[in-house]
Amino acid sequence: MRRHVRALAGLAVISLTLAACSGGNGDSDDSAGSASGATINYWLWDANQLGAYQKCADTFQESSGITVKIEQYGWDDYWSSLTNNFVAGTAPDVFTDHLSHYPQFAEQNQILDMSDLVEEDGIDLSVYQDGLADLWVTEDGGRYGLPKDWDTVAIFYNTDMLAEAGLLADDMANLEWNPDDGGSYEQVIAALTVDKNGVRGNEPGFDKDNVEVYGLGLGPTGGGAFGQTEWSMYAMSNGFEYADQNPWGTEWNYDSEAFAETMTWWRSLIEKGYMPSLEIASSAVSLTETYGAGGLAMVTEGSWNTNAIMTLEGVDTALAPTPIGPDGERASVFNGLADSIYVGTEHPEEAWEWVKFLGSAECQDLVAEEAVVFPAVKTSLERANAAFEAKGYDVSAFTVHVEEGTTHLAPIAKNWAALDAIITAAVARFLLFQADADVYETANSEVNALFTND
Amino acid sequence: MAVTSTAPDTVPTTSTYREPRRRPAFGRLLAWVFMALGLVVTLFPFYWMLRTALSNTRALAANADSLLPTGFTLGAFERVLGLSTTAEAIAQGGSGASVNFWIYLRNSVVVATTSTAGQVFFGALAAYAFARLSWPGRDKLFFAFITALMIPPIFTILPNFILIKDLGLLDTYLGIVLPTLLMTPFSVFFLRQFFLGIPREIEEAAMIDGAGRFRVFFTIIVPMSAAPITTLSLLTYITSWNDYLWPLLVGKSESVRVLTVALGLFRSQTPQGSPDWAGLMAATLIAALPILVIYAFVGPRLINSIGFSGIK
Amino acid sequence: MTTITSRLRVRGQTRPPRSRPRSDLRAAAMFVLPATIGFVVFYLWPALRGVYYSFTDFSVLSPAEWVGTDNYETLIQDDLVRNAFGVTLQYVLINIGAQTVLAMGLAVLMHRLTKSMAVRGALLLPYLVANVVVALTWFWMLDYQIGIVNQGLDWVGIDRVAFFGDSAWAIPTIAMINVWRHVGYTALLIFAGLQTIPPHLYEAAALDGSGEVRTFFKITLPLLRPVLAMVLVITVTGSFQIFDTVAVTTAGGPVNATRVIYYYIYDLAFTRYEFGYASALSVVLFVVLASVAFAQIKLLRAGESDLA
Repeated sequence: MRRHVRALAGLAVISLTLAACSGGNGDSDDSAGSASGATINYWLWDANQLGAYQKCADTFQESSGITVKIEQYGWDDYWSSLTNNFVAGTAPDVFTDHLSHYPQFAEQNQILDMSDLVEEDGIDLSVYQDGLADLWVTEDGGRYGLPKDWDTVAIFYNTDMLAEAGLLADDMANLEWNPDDGGSYEQVIAALTVDKNGVRGNEPGFDKDNVEVYGLGLGPTGGGAFGQTEWSMYAMSNGFEYADQNPWGTEWNYDSEAFAETMTWWRSLIEKGYMPSLEIASSAVSLTETYGAGGLAMVTEGSWNTNAIMTLEGVDTALAPTPIGPDGERASVFNGLADSIYVGTEHPEEAWEWVKFLGSAECQDLVAEEAVVFPAVKTSLERANAAFEAKGYDVSAFTVHVEEGTTHLAPIAKNWAALDAIITAAVARFLLFQADADVYETANSEVNALFTND
Repeated sequence: MAVTSTAPDTVPTTSTYREPRRRPAFGRLLAWVFMALGLVVTLFPFYWMLRTALSNTRALAANADSLLPTGFTLGAFERVLGLSTTAEAIAQGGSGASVNFWIYLRNSVVVATTSTAGQVFFGALAAYAFARLSWPGRDKLFFAFITALMIPPIFTILPNFILIKDLGLLDTYLGIVLPTLLMTPFSVFFLRQFFLGIPREIEEAAMIDGAGRFRVFFTIIVPMSAAPITTLSLLTYITSWNDYLWPLLVGKSESVRVLTVALGLFRSQTPQGSPDWAGLMAATLIAALPILVIYAFVGPRLINSIGFSGIK
Repeated sequence: MTTITSRLRVRGQTRPPRSRPRSDLRAAAMFVLPATIGFVVFYLWPALRGVYYSFTDFSVLSPAEWVGTDNYETLIQDDLVRNAFGVTLQYVLINIGAQTVLAMGLAVLMHRLTKSMAVRGALLLPYLVANVVVALTWFWMLDYQIGIVNQGLDWVGIDRVAFFGDSAWAIPTIAMINVWRHVGYTALLIFAGLQTIPPHLYEAAALDGSGEVRTFFKITLPLLRPVLAMVLVITVTGSFQIFDTVAVTTAGGPVNATRVIYYYIYDLAFTRYEFGYASALSVVLFVVLASVAFAQIKLLRAGESDLA
């Protein structure tokens, strides 16, 4: 047994030596960079866009001599890694930022205010889709990102199921809904719902407790305060606005009639058996998988999930725009990403050059060709449409909002995390039938209270 | 645990000591049934992982009730091992980022081995001091060590990260390994409890013969504790192998990135998105293989059937 | 049975451990030094800093501001804290209860029923898989529409169960998923302890006509005490710190039914950047765990062993 001990000790010594020496290999050349310029670090989370941004980086390097090192971290780890690196002072020079996080970073002085740089270099902000650039400006006028893409919400439906219900694609093009009887939208949902005995939701004898295929899908959380893909398109076409102003609202409207009506109608779909209950919905791995398994006929999802849904095998999907509401128009939340610069970057000029490039038509054309997102620059939209068409997807359901001006900016506010927590709990309780619409009044007062203390 | 029936033994036995056959047979059967059930529940998810790993991610949802792989393909394994092209990967539902599998494997081996060797070695030394030596403050310090188990990671991750950065050890093996190299509460606690159970007579005999504490430790205690030490090493190795959050923070560059961090690629990339299921399952199975190999070698040593029966 | 163990006691204990006349301080210092350095630098110091933060308003990215006991006062009134402790306690009881009993059973089976390496390896297999992947796999298998478990229930004719969405099922489901992962590991720890029991005791017991059950309760269990104490302290502590599985499956829902304490702390620290409050909560959790561990160690007299 002595050999055992010696072996262990020997292993320890070897490993320790190995650990100590091989540590510095191959990674201290980060700052050396290429022959002519510096190297900057760039983070993003969507692995599907890595190829596109690498192309941008290569093109950028040819023209400016600056090397961009791209690192990708999954969404789940992105923000905590970023925060930890902020604290340690090792954050990336440029990184993809998100509307729900940048206000906090701005307040904490972790990201660079580009408003002076934008003025000096005469950046023309009108090249971007209306409203996108303003999303990235804080109350005190600081600008923290140049828009790079946008997304909206549409209806994804199973074409086979539609045909079986005796409906046509045309029927889906101009759906209407209202909080009283749901309009043609609810009729379609009912027609698509099938119970275990094959009876449809709009036929007599429909058993709402034994549904095989639900007409409309429900996401696992009920949407929270944002409700981007869950209820925003209904509420906003019913006259609901998140707050007194957006961005940076301080008086919220979750206690409004418009909101209560919308949610009550939406919940009624569960009661009628057309939409799964929240218990069932939150026991699902993801909306996409349930849809792919044929458990749902339609889902309302964001354009960033187009590829994931369209490429599901065994299911043929088509897109339809969100329904027209009582105020005579459709609605969709308009969200977009931008890139921010770390305030402690050692290469501020290079970082700014890269951000400018990312916000330019040149780079966004390249990204558009990958058909993953819609570019923020107006002129690049054609390329994106063409790229999506080449894949066989008709994305007019997403772009119609931009064309008709029915977009609504995503909500941006301080204290968003706390606000979201309160409303998420209220919506969940409501959908679980543990509370009625008056729960929103209480919740709204709590939310407003967050802002009066500021 | 066998359950014996209370019926008296009716089989006549000629010798004074012979295991009665009828009673334990029933109990043994029950025990085997329990064991078999346990094995099925334990192993079925692995079959499920294998089935998913051999499937095409995009076809998974549509064929959810099939017990066999859907769209049978080795694509997932190719993605994990870095053998697949971007186009192929995306076509099957993967993300197309590159994976330098063998480098990450090497890094995982170095990190896990170093970490385990250090933890076990220093842990054993400390455990012996707590179990057998007497000195003022011993029990208080031991309790303090145990409470280290309860310190929430949010307390330790950030300061340790800053410390490693200040020491200039970011992106090095030593940086990844250092916080747990000298001590983990588990290893000290575990070994101390085992050392307590070693009969004192042997040590006392050796010390009477003039051996010092270190000699006693290395020549008597450690060999006698081969089973717990091996068990601890195996468990520590597994824990270190599967560590994700810390290596993610400290070991970003390719040359030190460990397997778990690299394979985080197969988890969800976008908000509300789905992971690359087939790739994730294939990655998990492949990441578990090296440990299985180690277990195959080390396993027999987990049993020390010699025990302490050789005392007298 | 009592004759055997009392015989053992008489033989084993020459004198109580503490009344050794000379102190081994010098030797002990050498043995304990590296581990103590590791402890102080990587555990104690960060913990003390954490306690400091609990008295501040710290949003991670800006310097901390001293606020005294404000965080603790908020904590006492926070419903979510009460909810979190309640939910976590429920989880711990189910998890540890099931896990310890099953692990004990499996360990004894490994010891007495079969010496097969393959069986032992198979039981340890779940521990080889990372926590997050275990959670994802079971999430998939227990999915309401497409999970194989619910499909199985369908085939047998039982109603499907919303394992993660139904408040009554959510915590037990998460508890059992973690039991699945950890039972082999716990069994291995207990098994290592079973190794240390001299076989001649079992032979003597069998000679005296003791059945399996009686031997287990009279010999195995008492002699297993130090190891069992350790296993319980470690598993209970780990159980209170459940996080990964919840984050992957229910994200604290439905309506906080699975918002365990550690999930709440993480949420406060990294999503809401209320690190000071999160630290206060962590300190409270720490005190609770330390008290539980202390109680366990004292009650089980983990500092002694009947073998030595």
